[in-house]
Amino acid sequence: MYVSSTVYLVLDALGIIALRDDGSVVDKLVYDYDAQRIANMLNNIEVGKPTDELVGFINRLAKAGVSTVYVEHKELARNLTNIIKGIEIKAELPTKVGRLFREEFWSKYLKEIYGIEPIEYIKRVNEVSVIQTRLKLKQAAERRDLFIAQAINSVDDLDKVSNLVASRLREWYGIHFPELENLTRNNNEYAALVYKLGDRSNYTKSKIMEALPELGEERASRIAEAAAKSVGASIVEWDLQQIRSLAKLYLDMQTIRENLTEYIDDAMKDVAPNIRELAGSLLGARLIALAGSLMKLALMPASTIQVLGAEKALFRALRGRGRPPKHGVIFQYPDIFRAPRWQRGKIARALAAKLAIAAKADVFTGNFIAPRLKEEFMRRVQEVKTIYAKPPPRKPAAKPAAKPHGKPERKPGKK
Amino acid sequence: MSSVRAVDVKEHEKFKGVYWIEFEDGSTRLATRNLTPGKRVYGEQLINLGGVEYRVWNPYRSKLGAAIMNKLEVMPIGEGSKVLYLGAASGTTVSHVSDIVGLSGLIYSVEFSPRVFREFMQNIIDQGRLNVIPILADARYPEQYISLVKGVDVAYIDVAQPFQAKILADNADVYLVKGGYIILVIKAMSIDVTKEPSETFKREIDTIKERGFDIINMIHLEPYDVAHALVVGKRD
Ligand SMILES: C[S@@+](CC[C@H](N)C(=O)[O-])C[C@H]1O[C@@H](n2cnc3c(N)ncnc32)[C@H](O)[C@@H]1O
Repeated sequence: MYVSSTVYLVLDALGIIALRDDGSVVDKLVYDYDAQRIANMLNNIEVGKPTDELVGFINRLAKAGVSTVYVEHKELARNLTNIIKGIEIKAELPTKVGRLFREEFWSKYLKEIYGIEPIEYIKRVNEVSVIQTRLKLKQAAERRDLFIAQAINSVDDLDKVSNLVASRLREWYGIHFPELENLTRNNNEYAALVYKLGDRSNYTKSKIMEALPELGEERASRIAEAAAKSVGASIVEWDLQQIRSLAKLYLDMQTIRENLTEYIDDAMKDVAPNIRELAGSLLGARLIALAGSLMKLALMPASTIQVLGAEKALFRALRGRGRPPKHGVIFQYPDIFRAPRWQRGKIARALAAKLAIAAKADVFTGNFIAPRLKEEFMRRVQEVKTIYAKPPPRKPAAKPAAKPHGKPERKPGKK
Repeated sequence: MSSVRAVDVKEHEKFKGVYWIEFEDGSTRLATRNLTPGKRVYGEQLINLGGVEYRVWNPYRSKLGAAIMNKLEVMPIGEGSKVLYLGAASGTTVSHVSDIVGLSGLIYSVEFSPRVFREFMQNIIDQGRLNVIPILADARYPEQYISLVKGVDVAYIDVAQPFQAKILADNADVYLVKGGYIILVIKAMSIDVTKEPSETFKREIDTIKERGFDIINMIHLEPYDVAHALVVGKRD
């Protein structure tokens, strides 16, 4: 049936074409036009996974006596070879014939193969590629939420460990230079000075300024003075080395923490742009971590999101001890913790409601609707602030926070 | 944004689809005709003159814009051009190229970072630019988009990576038509006073030549961008 026993396959968005080495068409398979289905097929072909259509087409060529097929995709050719017997499948990029085909596609092959105008072809390819891209973007984001959860938990771990390290450092170095404790404002300043300057005798104003310019002249001279008059014990290099490496550890952990928060922010842009816009990337990441995954978060009712992170208080309340919590980790949101106590629950509820919608958008539609959600939330915050400007009259506590003595009540049937 | 009124528009002396907008204070700005009237891509100014909407092309944000400001001589992209654009990012330059090539042209836009491509989808696709084919893929592996891309008149690369010239030539071998053009944005100068071309730059230019292209135009982008040059090449 075919003149040539070697054919060149060219893959297209709307079909597959087999050509002879002079560029004439041997056979073609034009896909039924269904953009969604084609997008899925192309995403498979792209990573080298053969589709049923492609395998069927090559088998048809084999039956017709074709002995060798060239495909312009290495991985695809290899996988086809494993599936299809009785025909040799070779890979080359580009093939001479493929080049010719693409070169003359617009002027010749397009019309010949599909019988449609360029504008219609472009419209379809655009449609297909947009769906392909959206699918890929979704996949790219898919398990990244679990990375985000780990990353935010690492940030919390680092904070715990650095606090431990910092207090050990203060206690240890404090033997040598006890006055430094009250002259620094945070662990970072403390650790940087210990690491960079070491022995108390190095604390001259100019060296301090060089080590930590942000201290400013005035504080630098106060520290220098204190060093000169210090009542601390003297120390030798060998002892000092150990302390300095601890200070270094602290500083390194801070750098890692910074990198992690940057990573989280970038990843949140990718995975949960709506949640990020609404809650900020760190709080958003905490919610994902607490829920277990972005999908789980998206399936939660707003009332659950509102108390995520307050499970202890919630279970206590369920056991009849204390009031149910009004907010969990979303308390970290500035508009909530800065609000007067009696407004917090209301604002938390409003935020949780918007977050529930944002999470669903991030998982299911991918639409960026956060600006609208944020606006609606801000409006509600204003409303709460005006309507509930004054504290409510004190009412007697519904239940005492804890019974003065005796065992907590248990509801029958519940553990 | 300037509150100065635009008074006139002229087509660029050489390049069809590129315009100069004149303002009442005598200043002029580069612009393209908005393919999607009423819509902005990167916060650029929209200007209505004689019933046509133009988008001001900011040379500080787009290196192709900077090259035109600096008297680019050969601009292979015109109405109806088919372009393979590698390193599409969030679509700043692609948007102007899309204006220029119009609905009879086409831009295959390749970008491999999902994060920036999400923005691209919002800026370019959701805005209804039908002459753009988005491709989320790695330009180092042209076979990944073999099903989508057909012959192109111009292959453009701005991926901010070493070995761009090789990546571009590999793509051109597969997709560029005979007599087609290439455009590269290359990190050009060591930014110190000597203004010596960097080693990377020399290596990239050598690669282009070895792969059979003639360099026909080279434009430095200062003051809009101090570090890069735009290079136009051609292969017959
Ligand atoms: C300097 S930006 C491009 C800016 C854009 N050309 C413009 O003017 O609007 C470089 C882009 O290339 C992308 N990129 C880098 N390596 C790539 C590769 N191998 N394949 C595809 N894109 C790549 C980066 O993610 C980044 O978005």
